[in-house]
Amino acid sequence: MSIFLQACVNGLLMGGFYSLMGMGQNVIFGVMKIVNFCHGEMLMVGMYLTFLLSTNLGLDPYACVPLVAILMFLFGALIQHTLITPSLGTKSFTNLLFLTVGLGLLLSNGALVLFGSEYRTIPTSYAQTYIALGPVNLALPRLISFGVLIVISVALFAFLKYTTTGKQIRAVSQNPVGAEVVGINARRIYILTYGIGTALAGVAGSLLTGFYTIFPTAGASFGFRALIVVVVGGLGSIPGAFFAGIFLGVLETMVALFISPSYSDLIVFITFIVILVVRQLIIIRRK
Amino acid sequence: MLKVEGLRAGYGSINILWDLSFEVNAGEVVAILGSNGAGKTTMVRAVTGMVRPTAGSVVFDGEELAKKSSRYILDRGIVQVPEGRQIFTEMTVLENLEMGAFNKATRAAFAQNLETAYRHFPKLKERAKQAAGTLSGGEQQMLAVARALIGMPRLLILDEPSLGLAPNIVDDILEVASSMAKKDNIAVLLVEQDITKALACADRGYVIENGRIALQGTAAELSANEHVKKAYLGI
Repeated sequence: MSIFLQACVNGLLMGGFYSLMGMGQNVIFGVMKIVNFCHGEMLMVGMYLTFLLSTNLGLDPYACVPLVAILMFLFGALIQHTLITPSLGTKSFTNLLFLTVGLGLLLSNGALVLFGSEYRTIPTSYAQTYIALGPVNLALPRLISFGVLIVISVALFAFLKYTTTGKQIRAVSQNPVGAEVVGINARRIYILTYGIGTALAGVAGSLLTGFYTIFPTAGASFGFRALIVVVVGGLGSIPGAFFAGIFLGVLETMVALFISPSYSDLIVFITFIVILVVRQLIIIRRK
Repeated sequence: MLKVEGLRAGYGSINILWDLSFEVNAGEVVAILGSNGAGKTTMVRAVTGMVRPTAGSVVFDGEELAKKSSRYILDRGIVQVPEGRQIFTEMTVLENLEMGAFNKATRAAFAQNLETAYRHFPKLKERAKQAAGTLSGGEQQMLAVARALIGMPRLLILDEPSLGLAPNIVDDILEVASSMAKKDNIAVLLVEQDITKALACADRGYVIENGRIALQGTAAELSANEHVKKAYLGI
């Protein structure tokens, strides 16, 4: 029983990251109707940024999070402005597919050139600190990360719901023509959105460094899971992405516990396909 | 107030408007009439900067707007109620109206304009917290009009407000538009396929055929015109 609870909690703590990734992907998809195939690589960039900041400036990895968020926002805004916005004009899905996939390859191979293929960690004094909560042991870094990402998720939700800019983002995602009619500058919204999405991925990467190894392809599995989260949680739904991410994390650790860790990817994708098929059947039935 | 001359516009290599000239003055309702595909919506998009005109001029209050951005034109006070309403269906009625306040001036006057909009369309006040997509078609059209009113138009353009609506709702919406023209001295450009309704509310009108002005005159003249009677009113 205590092993089961432990796995549940670990899954929950990991699932928070899938949520954060999924929410970033979801905001980008909602506004521009593009799938950001380099989302996972942005997480990896966030990891290396944190690594550089903490080794060169001696900062604690968690102290790097706000800095990483700002830098990644600017990085995303730059990419949107110089590369994605011009491609959006062509209305060609293949263009954007190649663009974001290519960017992802460029980033992960760039990291390989700059940092080599070795696995890196950022040592902290609290890496091996555990907090006992009844039968469950919580690793302190995972717990802090989860707390931070809950705060970020709530902040993102509140931003989209209550601020004028947040409402403008929703307006563009629901009806681009209506948004132009009321004078919303779509280009500005695109830059903001991609910046926010990239910052969320970067922050996820930064929060991972407390307990996860850093390597050039570290983002790939998170990128894939972000796609699953978006599809399962519902396109454009922030709360949907949040809960889908948690579900995915718990599912993964359950599989690892009861079957075998090596099957967790397999089961995750099978579940994904089953959900898609079942949902399609429900939609057909309703019609 | 608005003087359009020799306007030519289209999409890519397809030209829709060939040579369009018309005028709207403050305090008057001017109808732009024409059947489906005559170029009415393209005209609206060209005047509001959503499609760049390839020739001609759009002068508003003495300022040339033909090459300006849609946002710039909106800031000058040309606000449209677009064809198909284009409201934000998953946002609440109130949020939709908030989106209508697009600059500092309209945001500062929001509370007051909201009250005016609610006075014109009390149904919207009752449904303020409801998602706009759950409103009936007529209510959605009212919302689109109210959203434009929040933008404090000096020229209000209504593109096909009657589309798919019950006649009494169309009357209500047109009534609000013409009362605003008279009381607040704004110009109203009413783009319509339903010629009977449009001429009942308008002071003057223009008939567009194949991207050109085919006829123009006062509402009474147009209603009496043989061509209009035959081609549009089926008399």
